[in-house]
Amino acid sequence: MLQHGPLLERLLAGDFICQITDEDAYRHLSNEQTQQDINHYLRPLNRRLVSNDDNTVFFLGYHELNKAAREQLSSQFSLTVQSLLPLLEWLQLVQETLGRDSALTAGDTIKLQEFVLRTEDNQSLRQRLNQLASDRFFNSQSEQLDNQVKLIFRRLKEHGYLLQPHQDRQYYVVTGKIDYLIDVIRFIRDEEQLPVDDTPSQEALL
Amino acid sequence: MAPTDSGIASNLFTIGSDRLALLGKHHKALMQGYLDGFIDETAFSEGALKKLIAARILWRPDEQQPLALRPLVSELIASMVADENRRQINADVAEKLEQIRNRVQAYRDAQFKGDYSVAELQLQRLTEHVHDLSGQFEEAIDSLWHRLNSDFGFVASLDDKIRENERAQKQLRRLLDGLDLLDFNELIELSEGNNHLRKLLVSQLQNQLSSHHSSLLEVQKRLVELLAKFRQQQARSMLITNMAAFLRQHPKYQPADYPNRSELPTLFNQAARIVPQAAIALDNASDRQSLAELVRALPRYQPVKLLDTESASFSSVLVDDEIAARQQALKTDVENFYLRVIDQGGKLSALGYLEQQALEWDSEIWLYQIIAEYQALPQDEKQMFAIVRDEAPVSAMNQLLLIRDISLQLQVQAA
Repeated sequence: MLQHGPLLERLLAGDFICQITDEDAYRHLSNEQTQQDINHYLRPLNRRLVSNDDNTVFFLGYHELNKAAREQLSSQFSLTVQSLLPLLEWLQLVQETLGRDSALTAGDTIKLQEFVLRTEDNQSLRQRLNQLASDRFFNSQSEQLDNQVKLIFRRLKEHGYLLQPHQDRQYYVVTGKIDYLIDVIRFIRDEEQLPVDDTPSQEALL
Repeated sequence: MAPTDSGIASNLFTIGSDRLALLGKHHKALMQGYLDGFIDETAFSEGALKKLIAARILWRPDEQQPLALRPLVSELIASMVADENRRQINADVAEKLEQIRNRVQAYRDAQFKGDYSVAELQLQRLTEHVHDLSGQFEEAIDSLWHRLNSDFGFVASLDDKIRENERAQKQLRRLLDGLDLLDFNELIELSEGNNHLRKLLVSQLQNQLSSHHSSLLEVQKRLVELLAKFRQQQARSMLITNMAAFLRQHPKYQPADYPNRSELPTLFNQAARIVPQAAIALDNASDRQSLAELVRALPRYQPVKLLDTESASFSSVLVDDEIAARQQALKTDVENFYLRVIDQGGKLSALGYLEQQALEWDSEIWLYQIIAEYQALPQDEKQMFAIVRDEAPVSAMNQLLLIRDISLQLQVQAA
């Protein structure tokens, strides 16, 4: 267990561990024996390892769902629900701004400067970004494009969706937490049978 | 027969090399034609155009159409520059097999007749056909790998990539079907009793084809994987777009209360953070040294000793001569101000006086001292003066009142 000290600390602090955020730790966590060891260790803290459906990202959940745990989960859940639309809009905005043909996935790199440059000259992108930045989730007070973008990316970094490999270089890597977000959306869609398609219609295929 | 053959051959040689030279001579204009899809006729002289058409390099598909490269020439270029948009894959094995059978028959006939030079020629042609067959697979496999390794980067959109991938998979199936047509028992039979044929048709061809076969299977596996990845990306993009649209249309939308379900979905089991804290362990003797260093490195706390003052007038406690002198000067000036108020009898602004007398005191200190002096007066004398503070709140949000000025007036008591 001693060797996993830093990893345990990160997990306890609420970090999501994926291949991007910490490759070594992720490899350890993929090992069933290590999972058992960690769960055993975390048992007195009422924590256990949880992963998404594809096991691409690990985080800590409660072992036993007592009242306090339920309350915490409820507030966490409402935060997650509130963040869905701003996050989805951000994903769309990045995809369109950078002219990508597919949605962002874990491991993709975004250069802040490129994003700013492309938004600057496009009135409609500029307006959408403005709206997004003032959303409660990002909560930017600034009118400056540069500050808005920086704030958005910093907030996403704080929430664990982005990783900034170098403190003073403005480029970011998308982490596996994005997979978690997609899984959450898919889960809600399936569970509530929302009219939200993710397969192209037959027409589009032909 | 031999002389005519060589005559034809030399004739072929001349025409062929002339026409290849034509390709080289007009390489830039022809390549531009390949890229544009038609030939810019002004780039050529009339004679050159005629030659190119005669050489079957250019043709006019239709009276109304501009000149274009013949399909075979386009294909040649596509294959040379690995242009996957235009590269063709030839999966036709049956025709090649038929040719091989015929050549073997002709070879055997010639041998039977004892016509060795013809037999030699037929064997030569047969070798070419076998190599063509193998080369055809090699070209196809090269093209498939090339497309695969570039992630189908030669088309822009994801939808196009998916279509290109599906097309590649169809080509691959045709190639595999073609390989199935090759029946080695038949080839063994064909080459029976002849070492040359056996070597060519059985050992060599079999070797090559089995390696092609495994390459194709590998490509197929990768293509299927890549298609799955493309589909996943596509599904993800659509999910994001459609879910965002749904949430925008239903701003009040609230999903069910999953955290309080008896069967909690694992996705929503996200525990609160625990940040481990640690403190100094004083019982650990071995740490004492480092602890002592830490303590020594702490910035020293220096208490500010507050002096007791009996009244608001603090001049008496200050011992420093210079400060005391200044303090005394200030006190004198303030006293003069009070005297002026008494002399004048009307209302007098403290800052107004300060400015009028051109005194050097900081306005804040000045006001303080005036208030202090007022507070220090005996009760009955205090009543002689009416002190009016000119105050205003800091801002609309902050109700703290700031004193902007003080006016003093002698109150004439009804004696």
